Parts: sequence; structure tokens; C-alpha cells
Amino acid sequence: MKRRSQYTLLAGLVSLSLAASSALPPGPASGGAGAAQPAVRPVRIPFTEFRLKNGLRVILSEDHSAPTYSICVTYNVGSRDEPKGQTGYAHLFEHMMFQGSDKVGKGEHFILVQTYGGRSNGTTNADRTNYFETLPANQLELGLFLEADRMRSLVINQANLDNQRHAVQEERRLRVDNQPYGQTYEVVIETAYDNFAYKHSTIGSMEDLNAATLDDAASFFKSYYSPSNAVLSLVGDFKAEEALGKVKKYFEEIPARPLRPAADISEPEQKGERRKTIEDAFAQRPRIDIVYKIPPGNTPDWLALEVLGRALMSGRSSRLYQKLVKEKEVAVEISGGAQERRGPSLFWVVVMARPGKELAEIERLIDEEIGIIENEPVAQWEMEKARMQWRSRHADQLRSTQSRAARLGHYAVYYDDPSLLNRLEERIGRVTPEDLRRVARSYLRKSNRTVVVTLPAPKAAQPAQ
Amino acid sequence: MVFVQACLQQLPGAPGSAPEAGPSSKVERKYLAPVSKDVLRVKLPAPVEATLANGLTVLILEDHRLPTVSMRLHLGGAGGLYDPAHLPGLAGVTAEMLLEGTKSRASRKVAEEVESLGAHLAASARFGGDAAAINASGLSDNFDEWFALAADVLLHPVFPAEELERLKQRLKTQLRQQRASPSFLSGERFNRAVFGSHPAAVVSSTAEAIDALTPAQLAQWHRDRYAPQNAILGIAGDVRAADVIPKLNRWLAGWRRSEAKESLPAAPAPAKTRKVYLVDRPNSIQTTLVMGNIALDRAHPDYIPMTIMNRILGGGSAARLFLNLREEKGYTYGVYSSFAALRYPGPWRAGGDVRTEVTGGAMKEFFYELRRIREEKVSGRELEDAKRSVVAGFALSLEQPAQLLEFAIARKIYGLPADYWDNYPEKVMAVTADEVQRVARKYLDTETVQIVAVGNAGKIRAELEKYGPVELFDTEGRAIKAVPSPS
Repeated sequence: MKRRSQYTLLAGLVSLSLAASSALPPGPASGGAGAAQPAVRPVRIPFTEFRLKNGLRVILSEDHSAPTYSICVTYNVGSRDEPKGQTGYAHLFEHMMFQGSDKVGKGEHFILVQTYGGRSNGTTNADRTNYFETLPANQLELGLFLEADRMRSLVINQANLDNQRHAVQEERRLRVDNQPYGQTYEVVIETAYDNFAYKHSTIGSMEDLNAATLDDAASFFKSYYSPSNAVLSLVGDFKAEEALGKVKKYFEEIPARPLRPAADISEPEQKGERRKTIEDAFAQRPRIDIVYKIPPGNTPDWLALEVLGRALMSGRSSRLYQKLVKEKEVAVEISGGAQERRGPSLFWVVVMARPGKELAEIERLIDEEIGIIENEPVAQWEMEKARMQWRSRHADQLRSTQSRAARLGHYAVYYDDPSLLNRLEERIGRVTPEDLRRVARSYLRKSNRTVVVTLPAPKAAQPAQ
Repeated sequence: MVFVQACLQQLPGAPGSAPEAGPSSKVERKYLAPVSKDVLRVKLPAPVEATLANGLTVLILEDHRLPTVSMRLHLGGAGGLYDPAHLPGLAGVTAEMLLEGTKSRASRKVAEEVESLGAHLAASARFGGDAAAINASGLSDNFDEWFALAADVLLHPVFPAEELERLKQRLKTQLRQQRASPSFLSGERFNRAVFGSHPAAVVSSTAEAIDALTPAQLAQWHRDRYAPQNAILGIAGDVRAADVIPKLNRWLAGWRRSEAKESLPAAPAPAKTRKVYLVDRPNSIQTTLVMGNIALDRAHPDYIPMTIMNRILGGGSAARLFLNLREEKGYTYGVYSSFAALRYPGPWRAGGDVRTEVTGGAMKEFFYELRRIREEKVSGRELEDAKRSVVAGFALSLEQPAQLLEFAIARKIYGLPADYWDNYPEKVMAVTADEVQRVARKYLDTETVQIVAVGNAGKIRAELEKYGPVELFDTEGRAIKAVPSPS
């Protein structure tokens, strides 16, 4: 039985009954030719693509199973585009995008979204910046209007810039400077990368944030926030044809602007192990971060490393958890895996050590486990685990229209291919134990890694432990 | 991607806007957005309900959009609220140990089987919570298999001594680490302040209690308190209720009804005099502020007006606290208010992290907003916006079967009427400005509010003394007389 839901408009005039159709088409008739056992349903999101005259890429995915929709605008700009002296600008600018535009007052964006029952946010990383709203289906125009108005006519003034500079600096204090291990991430990327694009953090430095001027913000907007540098994805309860008409109405007249050339993200080959030890005033136990430089996301080697990361570090069944936490009891937590970047990525191993344990011994045990992967095929159940975890996580990510819209934008901006959303599951399934051995040998080498040890700072003024 | 410091790669962005006058930026409404004035009202789908022969309540919400299933087993009476006073953590450790070995599977085997199915399985019992919970999720492809694992850890845990020893070591290390976190420290002090002698005052174990735990104590806790007649099993996703219910009767046949009854401790009462608790965290560059007091339980008729009042005061980025302290003053990344309405009265609270230098200014604005919502009736527009926001937001929950299931489970746990969610929108829309003011006056009393600050005491103490006598603590949770001078 399909779930049935009914919704009515409070105004009392309209009453609709909705037979929940599947968000996902049934796929190739399950149990079709040759299907011997209950078919595993492929998880596929149907979508169509358009490009407006101004270059805006539009992706539409209809789904009538809930009376909601999400819009996501993904801009092809991230902290990798920041030059020296301007770290944190991409993210500061993301904050500025909520400060009002021609037809939207300062603060009105969030008031509108919240008042009409929606949710909204923006996020920035090294490779892209995105903005999204989820709203009830009868507010389709609201989301389009909000995104179009700020793409067209953002208001950038000194008062708002100063205000958001403070908010971002508080965000940095909250997440980085006032937290245990808050600075470790920055030290790791600063040490591991040579190219400034990925060498600095997205949150940026206090100094650079203080230095940001109105001209900088205006120039950032001009250089990167052109419709031709963005992907609009719309997922949910609308008719694609009607929605496309509305998208055109709101977006097509926004002029394209010349773009700044894409950042160079290439990295020279690493020629030897890099090590650093830092002290952390808030940390209570040592932590070791070992990162290996690996190829960009969506390459065959990256996919193999993604599977390898699961065998080594995902969950309690993983090799490093069993070895370091359970068997040897030298660590309390293990995390990590293959980070996904558009350019050279990192494979992380993060170990929270037990106080008083030899850190060198922990490193040795990790090397030993990597050595085993290099020499002996990974077990079938571990391959199955990676595949099933991937499928499960993928399905979870497709649950909300917001996440679907964001994923479509992600694959479009990162790899120029939104259909990866429907194809990666199969590609992950094709990774073999031999692939894991190959990538372990190629990338998980000492000369290709950076080791950062974070130690609790001596606590002179604090009570004895 | 699960990632180290994912926050640095994904910085949740900035909402925003500002109120009233001010030298900086002001909120401004242009009213030019195309909006539908209709509120899309949804009727939440009702789950299939059943009671198994052993007394277990089952709620199943079918949703076939994606090949996934999630389940939550709510074990009433097995939460940390009932920990013996000398053994804080007994409920939580018992729950965690469920996965560390069963009659037929060693700890590692449980993990390997669960994870190779692509499933998640976890058990927990929070401090202050009346229930333990087993949560599992995974693909519908192999639901029967991972459900069988969840049933195995529920019914046949053996609490192996060597696994308990290992877990104790990890837990003791975590006890240390959490003392580095300002949010842990503020939560610990706040719960002590508002709950007093009520068991929900406890938010963490102690090394002594962890050391004292034995496999026999865990086994007894499990035997006595994991009782089907006090439990609710919710399943949402790609399953057929008609198929699953007979299977549950089979899978859980070994789970016998017992005599166990749950009786809540006497309800906590609001603190009667204003107090300030200052936790000295010497290297802090921000002050974590939390203030509040005991308010109401979930079944209280004030719950709905309180929801609207909170939405206006601090329930999001369009609320007064955010607009004032962040968008106008730039003191913080975010400030919010909330309230916990449980089976027993929980606290309302307001708070946020502000940079050390503006601790005094932030306190002033918190008090200004608390007094304003008590003393002035909210405007018609603010009221209508808040009500509309709550009702219209319901549509979004239809995307998430697990969320819908939570609504149904909440109705059972809190004994709300069967048509509660059907009538909820009308009740929300009926809230008046007078009622908002009434609940603000009743609960947000600035004369009795409990204030917790975690930060650099040497720099912020004087500001806090303006609000009442300050009790000083160190990060170990011990009362101290004076701020140690920096070395």
C-alpha cells in the first residue's frame, strides 16, 4: 500500500488528495529478464537539464510524493579561489548573500523562508558555495525569487559587511579557536599542500577577515556570481514544464558577467614525509593525523581509496578500530577516509590516542595494517560492506529534496555531470580487491604523507590530572 | 563524507537580519516577495499500530519511496534517569554493552555482520532520559537480516567481562576529553542549577562509578528494565506492516512480559532565586552563556503557546535574539532559545557563545529580550508569522518517514490524544498575543533565572556579578573560591 497523505490549504478553498507516487521510478521492471532473486531496487533520481541564454545551468527533478520542494544554487567558487591575503572571503561572501538585495530587505530572506514554513542555509567549502531553501510546494515562486534577486542585485554595504565580519569571526572562534583540536585541521592542510588553493582553510584567518573591504566584496560578487558560473537544481512537487517557465521568468534576464579564470589547483608531487607536532591548550589527549595525497574525487583510484577507507576505518568492524581500539587498546577513536575534492585530495587517518600510550607504536600499527592491505587481498565481506554502506548512505542522502538538489548541484559543479548521482553506486560496486592493493601501494606511502601530532599543552595553571 | 573537522569544509552559512535602530545594519522588510497566503496544511499519515502478545507496542509507517528502513525501540524505564545515585552511567553502559557480545556472536562478529549489511545499529541510554533506545537503520534489501541482529543484541546480550573492561577504559578517557568542551561544561552546570536534587541534574558518569560497574549489574539492569510492556517499537520505511507484524511476533517471542512498572521521580520545581554559576576555563576566548529555569512537561496545555512564544523569542534565525545579538550587534555566530518538555517538566533556556569582550553587552541584551517578551505584547505580525511558520513547516516533515514516526512515538510516550496531530494546526493558529505574554510571564522569570557562563573568569566575573551572587567552578566541576592567577 502506498502511503497516502492529504493536504488542504488553510484558507479552506482547496483540498487536494495526493496518491503518493514513488519519488523514484520503478526502474527496470523489477524481476525482469534473468532476475532470479528479489531484485535490489536501483536508487535512481530522474532529472532533466536545461541551459538558459545567460548560461545558467538548470536541473529539474519532479517528485510528487510530498507537497514540498527544494531549490539549490551551487556557485562554482570556493576558498580555493582565494589568493593570499584574502582567506575566508568566499565564506564571508556567503554570509553577505543573506544581507539583502534589490527587492529583499536585510534579514528578510530568513524571515520569509521561516514564515512560510521553510528552511534555508548556505555552505562554503574549498571547491564550491551553495545556497538552498526547502519550502512547501505552494511557495515555489518564493524560492526562485529569493535566489534570483540576490544573484541579480545583491546589496553590499559597509554596515552589513562589518556586521557579518563579526559573525564570521565568532564562527571561527566557536568552531576553531575555542575548541580542542580546532587548529589541527588547518595545520594538516597547510603542511600537506604546496599550492595555496588548498593550503589554506575555508574559514580563513582573522587578519584577512579584518582586511576585507567593500571593494573586495563587490569584486568577488562580480567575478564569481554570474549565472554562467552557477547551477540551479530544483527538486520536488512541481510540474517541470511550469517550473522551467518560472525559472526563466526569474533568472533569464540576469546578465552573464565575465568570469575570473578558474584557480590552478595542481600540486607538485610530494617528495618525502612531512611531520609536525603542535600543542593544544584545550586538548586532553594526544591525537595523530596521518594524511596521504591522493587523486581528485570521481577518478578510478579515488573510488578505490573510498572503498579502502571503509575497510580500514569505517565502523567497529574496521581493521584499525579492531587493531588499535579493541586489540591493542592504544586508541579510543578512529576516523577518516578519502576526502572528496575537485583537485588533489587527501586520505585521512585520525587516531585519538589513549593517554600514556606510545605514539610511535600507534604509527607502527597503522603502517602494519596498510602493509597487510598492500600484500593480501581484502576479504569479500569487506568489499560487500563498502558496497552496501555506500548504497545505504546514498539512499539516505536522497531522502530529502534538499539533499537531492544539493547532490545534483555538487556533481554538476564538481565533475560537470549530474548523472553521476545515479551512476556512482555501480562504479563503487566494480572496485576489486586488486584495486585496493594497487592504490594502497601507489598512495599510502610514507614519502607521500604528512603526519601531524596534536599534544595537550602542559597545564601549568590547571589542577593535576 | 564523514570527515575530520567537516565543519571547516562545510560552513553552515549565515542567516540573518537585524531589528530596531542601531548604528550597524537594520532589518528591513520590503514585502515584494511573491508568496502564497495559503498555508499548505498537511494531514500526517498515521502508522499502523499493533500490540504483540508480550505487550510490546508496535508502530509501523510504510514508505516505499526509497529502499531503506529505520527503526527505533524505545525502552521506557531503562534510561539514565533511573541510574542508582552511586552508579551514574549504569543505564548508558548497559545499553552500550548490548553490542559487545551476545550468546551466539562475539563483539567483532556483531560489528562485521551489521556493517557488511550496510546497516547501522546502536544502543544508548542518555543521562536524564526515562528510556533506553536501540536504533537501527539500513536497506530494505536485507531488513530481515539486520533486524535479526538488533533482536539478538536486545534479547541475548552476555556483557563479557573483558569487553566491559575495554569499554571502561574508553569511557574514562572520554570523561576527560569532554571537560575540554565548553558546551559540555555549560550543560553540566546548567542541569545542576535547574534540576537541583532531581536525577536529571546528572549529565555524566564519574571514573569511580565506571570502575565500580560489573557485568552482573548490567545483566540485572537489562533483565529488570528491558520490558516489552514498557517499550515501543517504531519502524518506518520500505516494509509491509502486514508482513512484518507476524514476523515480529516470532522474532521477539523470547522477550517475556514482566512485572516491571515505570514510576517517575517527583517532578523538579523551578529554582526560586536568581544565581550565577561561572565555570573558569582559563584559555577561553568566548563565553558560553546559558540561562533558564524549569518550565513545563510535554502534556501541559501551555505547550503550544510556549512553542509560539519560543519561536518569537529565540527559535531560529528570524527570532528576536538572533536578530538582536547577531545581526544588529555582531556579538555571536548564533543565539537561540528552546525548551525541553518531557514526561517531567524540563527547562527553557536561552544562550549562545559570544566573544569574551562582549560578555557584559550580551547579558544586557538577553535580559532586555527576556523582559521585552514578558512586558510587551507581541505584535500581530510577529504572532501571525510565528504561527504560520509552525503550521506550514509541517509539510516538510512529510519528506522524512523517520520524523513522522517520531511524531507518532511522541504521542504514545506523552499520552497525547489520538487526534493530537490532526488538531495541532488549529490549536497553533488559535494562540493569541495575550497567551504568548502569559506564558512568557509565567516561565521566563528574570528574578529566578539560573545563569551559567563558561569562560575566562578573570575577565568576565565582574560583568556577571551584576546579575547576582556568582558561584565559581573549575573545569573539573569543583567549586573553587578564587580564580587561579595565570602562571
